[in-house]
This record gives sequence, C-alpha cells and structure tokens, in this order.
Amino acid sequence: MIEWFHPGFIFLFGAFLVPLLKGKKRLKQAYILLLPALAFVNLLLMSKGVLLSEGKTWALTFLGYELTLGRIDRLSMVFAYVFVIASFCMFLYSLHIKENWQHVSAFLYIGSTLGVVFAGDLFTLFFFWEIMAWASLFLIWYGKTKSAFGAGFRYIMVHSFGGVCLLAGVLIHLHNGGSLAFDSFTWGIGGEYLGVNLIFLAFIINAAVPPLHAWLADAYPEASVTGAVFLTAFTTKSAIYVLIRGFPGVDILIWLGAIMALYGVVFAVLENDIRRLLAYHIISQVGYMVAGVGMGVFGTAAGEMAINGAAAHAFCHILYKAVLFMGMGAIIEVTGRSKLTELGGLYKYMPITFGLYMIGAFSISGFPLFNGFVSKTMVVQASAMWDYSSIWLMLELASVGTFLHTGLKLPWGVWFARDKPVCEAREPPKNMLAAMGITAFLCTLLGVYPQILYNILPYPVHYEPFAVGHVVAMCQLLLFTFVAFWLLRAMLHGTPTITLDTDWFYRIPGKKVIRFCEGPLMAFANYTDRNVMKMAGFFVWVSRNPFAALRIKGKEVRLKVEKPVVSPESVEAYERDLEEVKKRQPAEEPMVRLNIGTAMLLALLFTALYLIAMFIHGWLIK
Amino acid sequence: MKMKIAITMRHLFLMLYVSLFLGVLAGILVQLFLHPHAYFWWEEIPVFSAVYGFVGCVIIIIASKALGHHWLQKEEDYYEKH
Repeated sequence: MIEWFHPGFIFLFGAFLVPLLKGKKRLKQAYILLLPALAFVNLLLMSKGVLLSEGKTWALTFLGYELTLGRIDRLSMVFAYVFVIASFCMFLYSLHIKENWQHVSAFLYIGSTLGVVFAGDLFTLFFFWEIMAWASLFLIWYGKTKSAFGAGFRYIMVHSFGGVCLLAGVLIHLHNGGSLAFDSFTWGIGGEYLGVNLIFLAFIINAAVPPLHAWLADAYPEASVTGAVFLTAFTTKSAIYVLIRGFPGVDILIWLGAIMALYGVVFAVLENDIRRLLAYHIISQVGYMVAGVGMGVFGTAAGEMAINGAAAHAFCHILYKAVLFMGMGAIIEVTGRSKLTELGGLYKYMPITFGLYMIGAFSISGFPLFNGFVSKTMVVQASAMWDYSSIWLMLELASVGTFLHTGLKLPWGVWFARDKPVCEAREPPKNMLAAMGITAFLCTLLGVYPQILYNILPYPVHYEPFAVGHVVAMCQLLLFTFVAFWLLRAMLHGTPTITLDTDWFYRIPGKKVIRFCEGPLMAFANYTDRNVMKMAGFFVWVSRNPFAALRIKGKEVRLKVEKPVVSPESVEAYERDLEEVKKRQPAEEPMVRLNIGTAMLLALLFTALYLIAMFIHGWLIK
Repeated sequence: MKMKIAITMRHLFLMLYVSLFLGVLAGILVQLFLHPHAYFWWEEIPVFSAVYGFVGCVIIIIASKALGHHWLQKEEDYYEKH
C-alpha cells in the first residue's frame, strides 16, 4: 500500500510523457489537462485523510540524511490548492501550443514548486528551488526574441546567485548547529546568524523585494504569451510560502513590504509595455503579502490575522493575476503588439476579453464582491490591529495606484483611448477565452463566498470583510480614484520609453566588465599563456638530455661571444660543431595535449570510479 | 449612430455622479449612525477615503511622472547604445 503520493511528482514525472504523445493532438491535450486534475484529486484525498492526512510528514532516508519530502499541514495545503487549481486554468490557456517542451518546462516548474511547498527540510527545499529556477528559464526563452534571450540570461544569473545564497546559508546554518528541519528560524543579524541571513536573502530575491526585484520586471514581459501566465504565479508566491514558514514576524519585512507595494505602483505609471506594467503590479501586490508575513508574530490575534491575510492574498492574487496576464497575452497573441503607444480602440473587436480582463482588474483593485477585497483588507486590517499608521496609509495608497493602472489606465489605453482602432483584431482562440472565463469565475466566487477560502487558511478566521464601514470606505476610495484618473487621463498616455530600474547596476557595469574581460584581460592572459608554454617547452627540451642541452647552450654562448674577434674559418668550425651536438639532443616534439572535453571526461570517470568504490565499500561494511 | 454613443456616455456620467454622491452619503450616514470601530482618528472622518483616494491618485501620477521625466525614463534603445 502506498503511504503517500507526492502531488508534485504527478507533474514532474508526468511531464515526460507529453513529448511521447506527438502527433496525437486531442490525446495530448486531454493528457495535459488530466495531470492537474489528478493532482487536485490527490489533494482532496489528502484533505479527507486518505493518503497521508494533515499534520503528518513523509520522509526518505538518503545518504544518512532524513529528507522530509512531505510535510502536510494547513499552510502547505492552502498553497498547494491554489497552485494546482491555477495550473489547470493555465494549461487550458496554453492548450493550443504545439511545442511539447514548453509544456514540459511548465510541468517541471509547477511540480518543483509543489516540491518546495511540501518540503520539510532544507536540502529538499534547495533541490526543488533549483529545478524551479531552471524550468522557468525555458518559459522565458520560449519568447524566442533576442531580448527574451538576454532577459532570460539575466534572470538565471540572479536566481543562480539566490540559489548559491540558499545553499551557503543552509550549510552555514547546519555548521553553526542549526537543525536541518525547515521551521521558523531564530532571527538576528550578524556573524552567528550568517546562515539564516543568507537563507533570508535567497527568499527575498525570489519574492522580488526591492532592490532585488529587477529580474521580475525584466524577464516576465519577455516570456512567451502562455509562459508569462505560468511565471506570474509560482516563483514569487512560493517565496511568500517559505517566508511564512521561515521568517514570520520578522519586522524588517513590514517596511520592505510596504515600500514594495508603492514601488511597483510608481514604476507602473511610467511603463509602456503592457505586460511589464502588470509585472510591476505583481511586485506591488506581493508587497502586501511580505508586509503580512512581517506582522505575523506567533500567538497574537493580529499576527494570525496577518499570516491568514498573506496566505489568502497569495491565493487570490494567483487567480486574478492569471486573468490579467491572460487578457494582455490575448492582446499580444492577436495583434502582435505589446506597447501602449501602439494599441488603442480595440474594444469593438474583443469585448469578451475586455469583460473578463475587467473582472481581474476589479479583483486586484479590491472592489467589494471580487476576491482581492476579501484578502487584501485582511493585511490592511492586521496593520491597523498592530497600530502601524504609516503602513496602513502606504498600503491604502498602493490600492489607489493599483486601481489606477490595472483597472483604468491599462484597459483604457488598450481598448479605448482612440476613436479608431489602431489595427485589426479578433477574440483569441476558444481555449484561451475558456481559461480566462474559469479563472475570472473563481475570482468572483471567492469574492462573493469568501468562506470557501477562509475555511482552508492556516488559522481560524475572525474577520468580517463585508462590514458596512469597510465596504463604504473602499467604494469611496476607488470611485474618487476614478475621478482623479478621468481628470488627469491626458497625462497617462504611454510614452515610447523604457524605465531604468535596479537591473541597470548589472546591465551597464556588467557590460563594461565583460568588455574589459574580452579586451585587455584576454590579451594579458594570452600573453602569459604563450610565454608559460614557451618556458615549459624549453624545460621539456632540457630534461630530455640535460648534459647535451647544457653543452649546446654553452657552445651557443661561446659562438656569440667569440664571433666578433675570431677568424671566419673558426666561426664556421664552431657552427659545424654546434650542429653536431644539437643532433644528439632529440628535436622538440609537441607534447601530447588533451582538449578540455577529454580532460573533463577523465575527471568524471575517476570520480565515478571513486564513487562506485565508496558505495561498494559502504555496502560491504554494512 | 453618433447620437447613440453620446447618449450612452451621458448615461455613464450620470451613473458616475450618482454613485459618487451615494458613496459620500453612505460614508456620512455610516459614521453618524453605526459608529464602526476605528483604529485611527482619520477613519472617523466621514469622507476620508474619498479625499485620500482622490489626492493619493493625483500625487501618484504627478510624483511618478516627475521622477520618470527627470531621471528614470530613457529612449527605448538605451541598453543597446550603452
């Protein structure tokens, strides 16, 4: 009897069957949708106590370490639910994609995210963390443009740095006597907390906390239309999960989160690329969650409210952000344009896409009866319960900015703004519309019946979202945002510019470093290399017959010294003599050189042999 | 056709004015009769959210535009050129 089946493994191993179904279009599509459905059934069984229920763990012994692949509790379940549900909608959206490997990357990406969510120890966490980074890279590269390639390269550089921080952090943490189990860390800054600080750094890189956020706004808008939809959900929200798990109540997160919420808003004003604008709003929305984690002190009513708020907001955010990216993806799919300055007036061609997009926009803005309202206000409420007045004001201001951009500026600029449409357009393929429809429906469902969501949150919920005061205040806030937008809408047209962000620091100086490496540094290296090889050749020559070599050199010197003073005949005699001696010394032959590939192969072979020997040794001793 | 559009726009604006009025009215009534629990002093001002929404929106637009205009916004081929 199988004890437990990891939902992530359904994606990870199921992925590799996709390329085998080549040529069978319908079967492949059915299979792609079947996997998330199976994972969802698996989760439901787990929630009912069949196959490892909540509060249990599932571990594997590997090389003497106890690796906890499955830790099931309310927190991991709520994230697993939303990841699986969202993945179904996203696969439906990308069902028409013919490239099998794009589907495989998406499956690996989601499977590894689920691996992170259920990881109960730090090694397992690191393992899935790395798969997540590499699998998502291919979704960016499937954008298939030069800029997508560049952005993907920078993306993986940043995430490799994050991965190294995580690994180093884990090792230092263990070395300092920390436990391998992935639970909340003892927080502090400085020497003895170095390991914990590095782990924290890795987490906030993935959560896109400024100034470490630039990879997100840089790479997501360059991804393929369908790949971008996947990207919005998993990396940042799994980072929120690990922050809740590892660093609840770390107060620096409160300020980072509130700054983040406003940072995204400011940059969204300046953005001309429609998906980059939305990407900045991911940063802004994740800010609410980060602030929520920071306020989540264990065992306090306000802390439980904050953690619930962060988890609930992650849940809702994944759904409405998917709708928004699906909507803008549809625009790019049918028009091939992605800049506000090149769009406008498309309403008459795509009214359905517009309507569904607006449901996402109302959700992210937190309109009552849409899902953003029932989750975002929990974080804001927690800040009020802690009496953080400036945090409260900053988060409310970010709400205003969110509605201004995603709810007003973007749809206005894309579907209206001009009297005549800028180009021909049509509704996107049916599967895309259906995916948007289902996701938008879920946004509204949770907005109307928040109890469905509240019942699965980590702590019991004592919060009434539809209190009259809340609803009225939110309506006032958003209605008057609209008034300000309408008066200033002329200022909000896109401009054909890009906006500098912190990626400048590695794009410009980075380029200079590479130029320096390719130019002067390379020349110096070549020069050194040449001379060292020359010297090495000389020593080899000497070592073949040191005595003869010494005599040859001696005779050469003598020839040079005596040449000006002795007669030409003696010089000739000397030269003949030298030739004679030189013949005795074997000529210089090229040394046997291996190329790097062969050398690597040899090294690997030896390592493998060593490993096998070690295994046999261990086995014999046992 | 043109006539029809004009009427729709007028209707929309009428709806907007009515909802703005109702929003403010509801805010005042809630504060007068229900006295919801307020955490901060400004929450007791009946139209605080309306004012904050309007002023906040104007500030966001103007401040960001200024920041972008004077510092952050560059021509599209900036990274190719530098």
